Amino acid sequence: MKGRPANTDRFRLPPVVVLLLPWAIVYAVFYVFPFVFSFTLGFLSYNPLAVEKTSWVGVDNFARLFTDPRFARALRNTLVFVLGTVPLTTIGALGIAILLRGRIAGKSLFKAGFFLPSIISMVVISLLFKLFYAPNGGLNQALSLLGLGGHGWLTDPTTALPAIMVMDVWAAMGYYAIIFDAAFAGIPKELYEAAELEGAGFRATLRYVTVPMLRPVISFVLVINTIRSFQIFIEVFVMTQGGPLGSTDTLVLYLYEAAFRHLDYGYASAIAYAVFVLSGVFSIFAIRRFRPQFGRSGTVG
Amino acid sequence: MKRNLQIVALILILAVMAYPLVWMITISLRTADGTSLRYYGEVWQAGPFDRYFVNSVVVVTIVLVGNILICSMAGYAFARYRIPGGKILFFLVISMIMLPKQVILVPLYILMQKLHLIDTYAALTLPFTADPFNIFLIRQFLVTIPPDCEEAARLEGAGELTVLFRVVMPMLKPALAVVAIHTCLINWNSFLFPFILTNTTSMRTLPVGLALLSQGAHSTDWGHLMAGALIASLPVILAFLVFQRQIISGLTSGMTR
Repeated sequence: MKGRPANTDRFRLPPVVVLLLPWAIVYAVFYVFPFVFSFTLGFLSYNPLAVEKTSWVGVDNFARLFTDPRFARALRNTLVFVLGTVPLTTIGALGIAILLRGRIAGKSLFKAGFFLPSIISMVVISLLFKLFYAPNGGLNQALSLLGLGGHGWLTDPTTALPAIMVMDVWAAMGYYAIIFDAAFAGIPKELYEAAELEGAGFRATLRYVTVPMLRPVISFVLVINTIRSFQIFIEVFVMTQGGPLGSTDTLVLYLYEAAFRHLDYGYASAIAYAVFVLSGVFSIFAIRRFRPQFGRSGTVG
Repeated sequence: MKRNLQIVALILILAVMAYPLVWMITISLRTADGTSLRYYGEVWQAGPFDRYFVNSVVVVTIVLVGNILICSMAGYAFARYRIPGGKILFFLVISMIMLPKQVILVPLYILMQKLHLIDTYAALTLPFTADPFNIFLIRQFLVTIPPDCEEAARLEGAGELTVLFRVVMPMLKPALAVVAIHTCLINWNSFLFPFILTNTTSMRTLPVGLALLSQGAHSTDWGHLMAGALIASLPVILAFLVFQRQIISGLTSGMTR
């Protein structure tokens, strides 16, 4: 290093450009370009097998979303999934975090146990539950002890989607519980002592101390879980392929099939943008609802 | 009394949550000739999970090295330099964290096809070497550290890349540990993109190979399926047992900030 001359004659890029260049290249080629290309694709009929590979179709692909019964079904199932699992996961996670409060024997062991499902691949979890829900699978084995069981949870159209939702809550709850547990450490103890002095019970403490103090974290958890849940794909791809009778068909499964089974890239891009817009709208709603500054004096309506 | 109730409730919840996992392990071990690891051996060789395993390790390693280099450089630039339009650029980085990745699935596939990169390690790694979350994490970590050491190194005549690699990266160690945990886990478990971007058995990663095994002739072969599922999870579970505290805090602390 020391022997290097202070001035070299050859042209040198400013250091900041050198530092940002690798990122800029990857970002431009693999994020920005596909993102913009995806939007244009939505206005094209792009089928690699057709004679005329591409043709401009205007807003046809986007308009088709509104009249396509399969899209409506996939949208309904996805909304049921999101609106069912996100609140359940959040409440369950809060419950576990509350149970973990205080000096609990073996606390780190509990935390590790709850956290474990969130590091395992969704493919593994989905495959495990596919067998677990089978007529002679683990769930029915356990239920037979109660004199119940024998139900094909994933082959019955009325129970297939709820079964997948339960699995998803099982898989996600522990992760958010640990996030809430970390956030609890940031709540001043004095608030709880004051609540106790005021004679506030468990529910009042929860409502006027815990939830208001956790608002930013709750909103964060709602947003990331909402975005993640709108993308549900692996679960239905591995477990049901959208069946039985389309009862577990979801937006991203439809996107995948439109693109890679029907080779209809234009329409698939339109579906992708629908996922993008929907998860964005729901996230903004969650941020608004739980943003701390605008909370109404600590009540959760 | 209240505390005991708390513990009983926790044990009950944990037992219900653990039951499916325990059931999976028993299925994978219960063979015709009693308890054995036979299914594991068969899936490893004939699966061919040995090949998937190697692919997963190669992909995760390349993506990890790429992220550590590229994200350190970018995070350092965003933290320390006055960049024209830097705020907007950094906002773009953050907004990409929230982007549902499916939006770029089809165009990325078409792009890789045009570049003739489908079914190569390049397709499985290059797009994932600059995870925006990692850049965000490194930048946020760096702005909390005063730039004194870097100034001193610069006065000694060190160039910018030397400053980054010799002075800044050692200070970044805690952040880089989180980057490593986050990157390894996401890419080890990744399914949709590796699935779309490959089309031969020899290029599949573990989650893709496992999903395809479950849809092929082995779909009712529970023992082999669960053994394969455990092979795909074992490295993650072992790492978790060893680095439990670091992994939990790494995956959650960056989140609540």
